[in-house]
Amino acid sequence: MGKEESPQVTRRTTRSSSSAANLDNVAEKTKAKDPPPPTLNDLLFGEEKPITLDDLLSSFPGRRVQILELLRILGPVNCPMLPVFIYGGTSTGKTSIILRIFAHLNRPFVYSSCLTCYSPRILFESVLDQLLLHRKSAANGYSSAKRCERPSDFVNFLREALTSILCNLQGNSGNLRSKKLEGQANGHMIYLIFDNLELVREWIKSNTMLPFLFNLYDILKMPEVGVIFISNTSPDTYYSCMGYVEPTPVYFPDYTEDNLRQIFMRNQSNKKLYSSFLDIVLKPFCRVTRRLDELSTAFSLLYKKYCEPLSDQGIVPNEDMKRRLFSQLQPHIASSLNEIFRVISLPSAEVGATKKPKRKDTTRKSGGCEVPDQLDFHMSTSAKYLLISAFLASRNPATLDASLFDSTGGSDSRKRKRKPSEKSKEHKETAEQESLMKGPGTFPLERLLAIFQCITSVAADEEEQENDGLGIQAGDNSLMSDVLLQLSSLCNASLIVKGGSCPLDGSTRYRSTVCEDMTLQVARSLKFPLSKYLYRG
Amino acid sequence: MGRENPAAEEALCLLRSRLCDPNFIFKPLSDSPDSNYSKLKFMISSSITEACNNSVLLLGPRGSGKVAVLELVLRDLLLEYPDMISVIKLSGLLHSEDVCAFKEIARQLCVENQLLFSKMASFDDNSQFMIAMLRECGLAHKTIVFVLDEFDLFAQGKQRLLYSLLDAMQSVTSQAVVIGVSCRLDADQLLEKRVRSRFSHRKLLFLPPSSEDLQRLMEHILSLPIDSSLPQDYAVEFNAKLQNVLADKRFKVIIDTYMNSDSTANHLLGFLFRAVSNMKLENGFLTLENFEAALSNVQRQPKLESLKDCSIVELYILVCMKRLEVKEQNSYNFNSMMKEYKSIHDSLRTPDYYSRSVCLRAFEHLLQRELISFTDKRGQNQSVEFHPVKLLVSFHELHQGLKSYRSCPAILQKLMAG
Repeated sequence: MGKEESPQVTRRTTRSSSSAANLDNVAEKTKAKDPPPPTLNDLLFGEEKPITLDDLLSSFPGRRVQILELLRILGPVNCPMLPVFIYGGTSTGKTSIILRIFAHLNRPFVYSSCLTCYSPRILFESVLDQLLLHRKSAANGYSSAKRCERPSDFVNFLREALTSILCNLQGNSGNLRSKKLEGQANGHMIYLIFDNLELVREWIKSNTMLPFLFNLYDILKMPEVGVIFISNTSPDTYYSCMGYVEPTPVYFPDYTEDNLRQIFMRNQSNKKLYSSFLDIVLKPFCRVTRRLDELSTAFSLLYKKYCEPLSDQGIVPNEDMKRRLFSQLQPHIASSLNEIFRVISLPSAEVGATKKPKRKDTTRKSGGCEVPDQLDFHMSTSAKYLLISAFLASRNPATLDASLFDSTGGSDSRKRKRKPSEKSKEHKETAEQESLMKGPGTFPLERLLAIFQCITSVAADEEEQENDGLGIQAGDNSLMSDVLLQLSSLCNASLIVKGGSCPLDGSTRYRSTVCEDMTLQVARSLKFPLSKYLYRG
Repeated sequence: MGRENPAAEEALCLLRSRLCDPNFIFKPLSDSPDSNYSKLKFMISSSITEACNNSVLLLGPRGSGKVAVLELVLRDLLLEYPDMISVIKLSGLLHSEDVCAFKEIARQLCVENQLLFSKMASFDDNSQFMIAMLRECGLAHKTIVFVLDEFDLFAQGKQRLLYSLLDAMQSVTSQAVVIGVSCRLDADQLLEKRVRSRFSHRKLLFLPPSSEDLQRLMEHILSLPIDSSLPQDYAVEFNAKLQNVLADKRFKVIIDTYMNSDSTANHLLGFLFRAVSNMKLENGFLTLENFEAALSNVQRQPKLESLKDCSIVELYILVCMKRLEVKEQNSYNFNSMMKEYKSIHDSLRTPDYYSRSVCLRAFEHLLQRELISFTDKRGQNQSVEFHPVKLLVSFHELHQGLKSYRSCPAILQKLMAG
């Protein structure tokens, strides 16, 4: 589907319009030539001819009730409607269904998502651009038709734009009542769709924006305008910024197991085989998640695994073969259940390469934490040491540094630990609780550098012993080079994060976000005895 | 849809456009002489005829038809005294900033009087222009009606707009009415002293309609006109069936349960809208089932719904968090939750034990569903696992949700109970 390249349709290439077209095989014709000047029909979904109701219902299994409900609310042509609030979890088909419904009804609408329009100004301008049939291009310097930042300006512009559009629509329907042109808009209502409304709550001006958006219908006082909100979260999560009459709710529940089966069975070439595959995997996976997007990535890999022993993909499996395939797949299910959410960059190459759960990383930002076994770390030795020392600094209490890194003090601390009294046990429990709660500790730069120096000198010593004093100072020198630069690059990779500054001396404090497993791996690659230096409660 | 019965479709369109037109809905409520409509109309018309200044606050809960009644009054007065009134409408949601408000006033005054509006005019220009216009209109015996919707929002900040409006009205030359509309009953208490002393303290209170009024209102909205383009026998039959439904005991119960939470007129409209949308076009009559379906459509229990959407792992996490709360652990995070989860698994050998990564993702799903949330927004650089969290569902709701969950493991129910 090359429709992303065609500027004529890009206005309508939302996440779901492309996916829905994918599902339906009602691919749009792509036009490689220059885009024609925008017309009123750009506010339509942009299909050659409207899809039928049956097509609509069959392309969304398990959503029959919701589709019919929405159609009832939208009503017959030219019926005014009260604002609608569509809500439901992620990947339950809210956006794609409402857009397909408009393709079916062939009525003009304006779609803007608060995800891409991440500030009031961009949201307002996107709505106005669509209404004014304005297209950003090189000729106009990719600027919007109107510049507007305040809700008050927006309402004025919106009213202007809507009136002119509605005039056009009414004129059209008046002229062409006798002979309905193909691709002509139905009726003279226009619908404003606001997607991802839950994100508005995070905006800076959310406490004025949300009541404004919810009240938009009342402010405009134009019965020809329908307002539709789509949100991931339920209406009660908006209550803190109340100040509007609640729009009428439509709920999209998560897909049930049966729905999921129907969805996965669509567009399968070998239905029998896939159905037997689903018999095995669907139930255990549904206990973990019923989200379509996550399941489909997991299943696509597993199915390949499932089909591996088969030479002919078009084969109709019998009972015996099903059993054989099942036993083949069984060991993979459990492992794949545990890595169900792993983001895989090279799906075909990495299948089954790693069995261990890898998503033990700490921040979502730090995708760099997931390092498969067989891949070496693309890090310099000093960066590795720095990482280890940061980890140590985060985990170990600062008071123990001296005893841990001083060769004489080490035995002392061990002696002290040997007599655990009742009180110390209690202490230990609360400390454990605290460590669970607090996470890795923060440390100043000086401490990190001190630890770094200690462990690198130890490593250098060992090297010396091995090499019999051949590379006397070489190791140390190379390790100490540009440590600060390394530190900043580790910070950029968010393996180490800058914490809040210390309230007393104002120096920046750091915190290591790397998990223990990964540090152990790093240590292993350096042959560094990490466990020796790690303080354990 | 609806090709079967054009009359039904026309009726549906008519009903829906009525429901979306507040002027139509509040018409019958404003007949009686002691209604807010008559009071307001009397007040404004007297200040028009006697050429005096006035100010009034319309107070009442959201959706009780304050603006609708005001619009009705203004529409009738515009017919009664053409060329003697110009209406300036502001909304607190849009124009709560003074600069913005003065600009909008200037814009609307220009539109009303066919003057050229300059976008570049400064705040001072605009406010002077307004004062000048007030004087000019006063000399021409033309009343300017300022409608300030969401009046309470204008009372934020320095209240410069309110002050200059009300102050201008102290002079004899001007002739204006300021009408504030607010759902805060204490809106006049929000005013500064200098503003309050210039305000007339006239207030009109809008109350939700009584049950008899509601009944009348529903009849008024839902019955079809006999003398219209609709086939007469269809309209008569429709009205007869509607009367049956309205008189039904079960219908009264439905309306009562719905109006319990909020008995304003607009609240009712939302419900009627759903009921009317539910009308089957094949037979084209409103039935009791339509209203029943509308009630279940409109009355939602979002928390229970999202509990039903949870997977088993997510339920386990919720139950673990609930157990931690019962243990009076004052703050907990993902790690302590995992400890509890593990201890449950160790003692009971549940079949659903998943790795930490799976649980973490399930935990994130719960955050997305807003069944749980972080206790504070601070420290975002700290990772998800260490952030203290709290439950956003009550124990009762959780219990209820587990009960209604399809194929909920018995072990979870047990864990929940003790």
